Amino acid sequence: MRRWVYWVLVLVLAAGLAAVPALAQQKVITFGFPVDYTRVYVFVAEEWTQGMVDYLTLMNLKGGVGGYTFDWRVVDTGNEPQRGIEAYERFRREGATIFNFISTPVSNAVAPRAMEDGVILLMPFHGRSDAADGQTFPWLFSLGANYWSQATVIVQHILEAEGGNLRGKRIGLVHIDSPFGREPIPVLEELSRRLGFEFQSFAFPSPGTEQSATWAQVRRFRPDWVLLWSAGPSQSVGVREAIRNGFPLDRLVSVIWLDEKDMNIVGAAQARGVKRFEAAVPGREHPVVQEILQKVYQEAGKGFGKIENVGSTYYVVGIASVAPVVEAVRIAVERFGEPVTVDKIRAALEMVSNFDLNGLMPPITITPQDHEGGGMGRISQWDGSRWVPVTDWMSAFRDVVWEMVYKSSAQFRQGQ
Amino acid sequence: MFYRECGVRHTTYAADRALAVIPFERALLVLLIVLAAAAPWIVTDLFLVSYLTPWLIWTAAVLGLNLLMGWAGQIHLGYGAVMAVGAYTAVHVARAGAPFVVAVAAGGLVAAVIGSLFGLPALRVRGLYLAMSTLALQVIVDWILVQVPAISGGAQATLLVPRPHIFGIPLVTDQARYWTAAVFTLLVALFVANVRRTDVGRALIALREKDYAAAVIGINVFYYKALAFFVSSFIGGMSGAALAFLYYRAVTPEQFGLNVSIMAVAMVIVGGLGSIIGSFFGAGFILLAPIWIEHGLRELAAALSVHISPSTLAHLPLVIYGGLITGFLLLEPLGLAKLYDNVRNYLRVWPFGYTKK
Amino acid sequence: MTFLAELAINGALVGLMYALVASGIVLVYKSSGVVNLAQGGFVMAGAYLVWAYIARLGLGLIPGILAAAASMGALGWLTERLALRRMIGQPVIMILMLTFGLEVVLRGAVPGALGADTKPMPIPISQAPVWLGDILINRTYILGGAVAVVMVALLAVFFRTRAGIAMRAVSDDHLAAWAVGIPVERTVALSWAVSGAVAAVTGVLWGAVQGVDWSLSLLLIKALSVAVLGGLDSLSGVVLAGLIVGVFESVISGYVDPFVGGGTREVVAAVVIFLTVLIRPYGLFGREVIERV
Repeated sequence: MRRWVYWVLVLVLAAGLAAVPALAQQKVITFGFPVDYTRVYVFVAEEWTQGMVDYLTLMNLKGGVGGYTFDWRVVDTGNEPQRGIEAYERFRREGATIFNFISTPVSNAVAPRAMEDGVILLMPFHGRSDAADGQTFPWLFSLGANYWSQATVIVQHILEAEGGNLRGKRIGLVHIDSPFGREPIPVLEELSRRLGFEFQSFAFPSPGTEQSATWAQVRRFRPDWVLLWSAGPSQSVGVREAIRNGFPLDRLVSVIWLDEKDMNIVGAAQARGVKRFEAAVPGREHPVVQEILQKVYQEAGKGFGKIENVGSTYYVVGIASVAPVVEAVRIAVERFGEPVTVDKIRAALEMVSNFDLNGLMPPITITPQDHEGGGMGRISQWDGSRWVPVTDWMSAFRDVVWEMVYKSSAQFRQGQ
Repeated sequence: MFYRECGVRHTTYAADRALAVIPFERALLVLLIVLAAAAPWIVTDLFLVSYLTPWLIWTAAVLGLNLLMGWAGQIHLGYGAVMAVGAYTAVHVARAGAPFVVAVAAGGLVAAVIGSLFGLPALRVRGLYLAMSTLALQVIVDWILVQVPAISGGAQATLLVPRPHIFGIPLVTDQARYWTAAVFTLLVALFVANVRRTDVGRALIALREKDYAAAVIGINVFYYKALAFFVSSFIGGMSGAALAFLYYRAVTPEQFGLNVSIMAVAMVIVGGLGSIIGSFFGAGFILLAPIWIEHGLRELAAALSVHISPSTLAHLPLVIYGGLITGFLLLEPLGLAKLYDNVRNYLRVWPFGYTKK
Repeated sequence: MTFLAELAINGALVGLMYALVASGIVLVYKSSGVVNLAQGGFVMAGAYLVWAYIARLGLGLIPGILAAAASMGALGWLTERLALRRMIGQPVIMILMLTFGLEVVLRGAVPGALGADTKPMPIPISQAPVWLGDILINRTYILGGAVAVVMVALLAVFFRTRAGIAMRAVSDDHLAAWAVGIPVERTVALSWAVSGAVAAVTGVLWGAVQGVDWSLSLLLIKALSVAVLGGLDSLSGVVLAGLIVGVFESVISGYVDPFVGGGTREVVAAVVIFLTVLIRPYGLFGREVIERV
């Protein structure tokens, strides 16, 4: 073995140990975005993070909110809980008070720490669905329709499309075999009792790249409607199988995780008609997105990622998941005065009411009881080149959702 | 240089067979233990919570796997599942009201029983075929975890871990958790180091070299293979429980998935098969290198104000990390332990390098 | 009955596509006794390259695939030349770990350089269903199964050629092959190159099934199971094992899933492998190692 190798090793070690964390600044609110850029959440992480950071950049360019500007820390966790915890502990010490991990396993692993440390953990469209229960989880915020609410909104759409009567209809759920995929099952079972439709679930194992056997079962069930409950590459596989099995696509409704890229993989024209749950308005027409394009990308040149991503489905989801927090900071300055602390932001978040960012997202109202904000969304349909809304923002069967939330959060409290 | 072996004579068998033979190393060991005990006052809070604690617990797990892979020579691609069994058992037992120590021991015991089942194929097959059958069992355990909400903790598949108590003292502070982890790892390391010196250890090594030959010289292959799986799974189960109680504080199935099993094997191999200090190195490297490379690169990019797309920046560490694994193995196929050994051997005889054996 | 037939036929076709991934592993194992844990990464890289050549550089479909196969062949050759050759004589498990490191490098480098988001594989396969009576068959799988059979047949023919026979000799005994003047290193390198090219073709097929992104590298686990089941050093074993795994997991999960209420697919495959290894320790067609002291 050559001797220089050891010197290199020693130098590398020394350099690694010498990395010193930066100091937090004054009048700055710091976000932590340790997200999964490289594994399971690759399909969403890049655009979502870009949406969040670009919106914060826009706020900074406009002079901040109430004298406060925003800072953020981004790092890759590879969807590994221990890397998420490390990033959480590190960023928290660097002053970050608001976190979004965009990963269910990492969020769930960090949640007990965040609740002990008094750190705001955002879980829009991932993490614990029962985070809607603000009394049990004061520090967790769903800020958007959880999976149970999404299931009820989708069923509501089906109910309306069928003219208000689902008796005798058959609804199938094709889902990935994971806790996330199984989540809507109890809601759909309850609704099938209530509305009288026949319900059956069909699971395929992760990663879900082979679903022909599952869809052969679906065909035997002869469903009138099929709900698609997965994420990532398995979604386009599912849509393809539906096409192959001759299933009418306008009766295929997906959970929130279906976007333009999936449609392009299936074939944009062939996928015409597919429906999905939508929680923010995609496209570049909205004034906020226009403003980001102009101020952040063209004038300042501070865009966080590729300009092509701006306005994509997950990009606007990103905007919608930090905008209420920015609003809360504004409220905090107004109501509680400076200095703005994490406790004040938390309290102000629970005062956000009827906030919809000029129509970019459904109006959400957060209260100390309800951290989900109403669970509203809408159904949109792929017309071959873009997503067209087919319903208004709506929520439905709230009692079913809350029953699930309270049952699950009670289970959590038991373990405390 | 530091070792100064000249004049060190062992006059009894006991002295010759001690755990640390060279006086300097004995001193070093004591110093390290003192440093480890004093760590909460030396290193920052962050370092303690995010690096030292998980590193020590993972080291204990790796020592258990190393006992199986390094000494008994059996490949195991389902160690994550064994740790999962330990963690879930311990958490459920603790939620039922048992004290922390009992819960961890129960976790270890159940994991050992189930882990021995993993070892069943080892009685017939070896090498890759054994690797695949342990991997198959990992898939089955993962599947059961996801399918049975009673085990995994309801619809959210997250099980909150009760606060651990030791003899009535609650372990709430980061320091207390760290010390518990350190003591646990020290005990496991001592145990494994001593196994090597017993007849069992010798029998395992004979097994590793050639189980057929071992049978010929009168070693009960069946018994020792089963024993190796049992003991290693016991340690693995306890480590899984320790991870849950002292580090994660909430268990989810992803914490013990297939990629974790692969990570554990990587720790053993990169560290060095059959080496105790190698287990420390391997666990540290595989666990912490990706994190530090990632942060380092980001700080470097920020310092040089180079603009790289965040996605590319997130993928670069993988390249470096994989490159380091490959590079280390190309430089020194016997792992980090051998690298350490080279340095040690160099220093032992310095400046008289030519006396090297 | 048609349900059973549909499950079986689609399962068999998918199984053949698994077998194609596994054949890359078998090729290398046959020549050098190394199991390439980076084969999944190779498949991913191959798919990415095909996509890049066609969508970015504007090559035609066939030239694009050929160029990718050539590039992947070069990558396989380089891997052997730069890394594996230096590891000759080291314990097998170290070499395994080395290929695992390569896998990590590939998983970082390829999506990092070409973009991590999922890309459509630009090959024109219609989604229109193929009906055989009441049985629905997936067009992509038909193509995949056909290509897999052709590729494995080509490989079988290859082992009758001069280079192929040399490779078989090398797989029997490195020293003896050396002694009779076979360039062992070059032969091993050739097997790596061929397996790289096979990975590119596999990447095209699987990319057409699920889109091109990092998750293609997950095929490694399935491929490893199939390769082990078939016996690691047998090409015909791989085909049979692929068929068995494909048919079993499709048929059994088709009938059992509704009762269990979960996807049993992976578990079925795992149980099949576990039992087979217990009953036949060297896979279906693997060469038994005779113990000597």
